[in-house]
Amino acid sequence: MTASTILGIETSCDETAAAVVRDGSDVLSSVVSSQIELHARFGGVVPEVASRAHLASINPVIDRALADAGLPAAAIDAIACTVGPGLIGALLVGLSAAKALALAWRVPLVGVNHHEAHLYAAFLEDPSLEFPLVVLLVSGGHTMIIEMAGHGRYRLLGRTIDDAAGEAYDKVARFLDLGYPGGPAIDRLARRGDPQAVAFPRAMMTREGSADTLDVSFSGLKTAVVNHARRHPGLDSADIAASFQAAVVDVLVTKTRRAAAQVGARGVVLAGGVAANSQLRADLAAACHADGLACFLPSPALCTDNAAMIAAVGWHRLHADGPSPLDIGAQPNLRLAFG
Amino acid sequence: MDGVVLAIDTATDRVGVALGGAAGLAGLVEVGGGRRHAETLAPAIDWLCRTTGIDLSDVTAVAADVGPGLFTGMRVGLATATTLASALGVPTLPACSLDLIAMAVRHTGRRIEAILDARKGQLFHAAYVPVPGGVQRVVEPRVLSLDDLLADLAASVDERLCVGDGAVRHAEALSVVIRAELADAAVAAPSVATLVDLAGRGALAAGPLEPMYLRPPDAQINWETRRSASGVTS
Ligand SMILES: [Zn+2]
Repeated sequence: MTASTILGIETSCDETAAAVVRDGSDVLSSVVSSQIELHARFGGVVPEVASRAHLASINPVIDRALADAGLPAAAIDAIACTVGPGLIGALLVGLSAAKALALAWRVPLVGVNHHEAHLYAAFLEDPSLEFPLVVLLVSGGHTMIIEMAGHGRYRLLGRTIDDAAGEAYDKVARFLDLGYPGGPAIDRLARRGDPQAVAFPRAMMTREGSADTLDVSFSGLKTAVVNHARRHPGLDSADIAASFQAAVVDVLVTKTRRAAAQVGARGVVLAGGVAANSQLRADLAAACHADGLACFLPSPALCTDNAAMIAAVGWHRLHADGPSPLDIGAQPNLRLAFG
Repeated sequence: MDGVVLAIDTATDRVGVALGGAAGLAGLVEVGGGRRHAETLAPAIDWLCRTTGIDLSDVTAVAADVGPGLFTGMRVGLATATTLASALGVPTLPACSLDLIAMAVRHTGRRIEAILDARKGQLFHAAYVPVPGGVQRVVEPRVLSLDDLLADLAASVDERLCVGDGAVRHAEALSVVIRAELADAAVAAPSVATLVDLAGRGALAAGPLEPMYLRPPDAQINWETRRSASGVTS
């Protein structure tokens, strides 16, 4: 593959991000402007608020990424940009800026799938990961267990049938009045709670009949937490948080472990915003160690949304599939192409 | 002004791109009807440059319609225009959508009511009087309901010329309340031809392309309503 320097742009949700990455793994700069505080009072991401903030931030963020990389515009060989999945109005801001740069600098544009980019976050820190891998992708929007047989070769092994793990965290945090986003708040509170205080349900864990499913479900757990807390008003919320987190992590680790065994994976990779969760990281690492699997936990800054992962996957996509046409649109419901 | 202006307008459901300057219009593309702003805009710029033989590096300023208008479409145009100008190292020239539709009908003796559809039962409105070479605002851009606009307009007996897609849509209601003439549907949306003409004549001041939303996000309205209802004041 030819050497190339790619500017990545990401605006799919509530982070405006730009990064410069060389050859798919050498991060020269990565700038993330978070809108978390803007959305906190609404208890979740508000699309119109997000889109307005992206428009205000996109050019300063791109300029910073170039300046931090210490490169002139002429050194950029291609632009990679998230085209989906995500919020349509938010995606369009980044995509419009990306197209403008492709036109002005006469460089190719490559549209990127945000989920695929999360899978590639691990390669930024360890380009030598060996296939086949099982990836646990957990974020506010999605919970998937994916087999990665090679670059660009994915198979969906399991997914949530209702709430995403991050969504369950946000809902429970809102119920416990912990604010937004829920993941870090519960993670913090859980550290001083007893994870065995309440035996919350672990859905779809039993191997009933032949249904050795790798799918997961979190909506029942969320309901159980709410009902239990209402019935026991005196209960320490730290114990509830710890017990809830123990249930989520138990389900995710058990399923990922089962998936790795099924496909004969050489390693396990954690990806997505919930991958920053300390309990999940610790338990998954311990399980992999016990099973003799390589376990890769990207640093938290690469787990949450960033543009370095967009540039990284853009490099692979550009060399494998070529550039995207200038009339490419945002695809809010884009899925990973599973083969 | 000397040089070449690239003008971009995506504030309504139309996408417009024009190239021109002091010597006049070099070319324009206007695509109506769809909501595919992002898909249409960049290829249109690319096609127009190739067809007119004008390279983007020849462009000396980027003018854009900053609204008021449809939020998502507006942002496609403004993100594109701001990023292009920044990459090319040239200034940006903001223009207001209501000014643009008023300019298109400036050869009238009447007061001009520029009215654009704001969705959600609301209208964007500004009023102008014709002056030599252009128009002058007498009511600043604002967002309001049809009933409020009608009540406001009925308070005066001046003859008016109503222009804009909001005026076309509510022509009947407007004609009942005021002595209004309705401008053609052909000038009901801001035109990129007007935009590039104004820029070419040096009538637009350089400045950042700040979107003119005029209306906060719905969630913010709901949140503020809840807060005031619960007695929170700050
Ligand atoms: Zn993400």
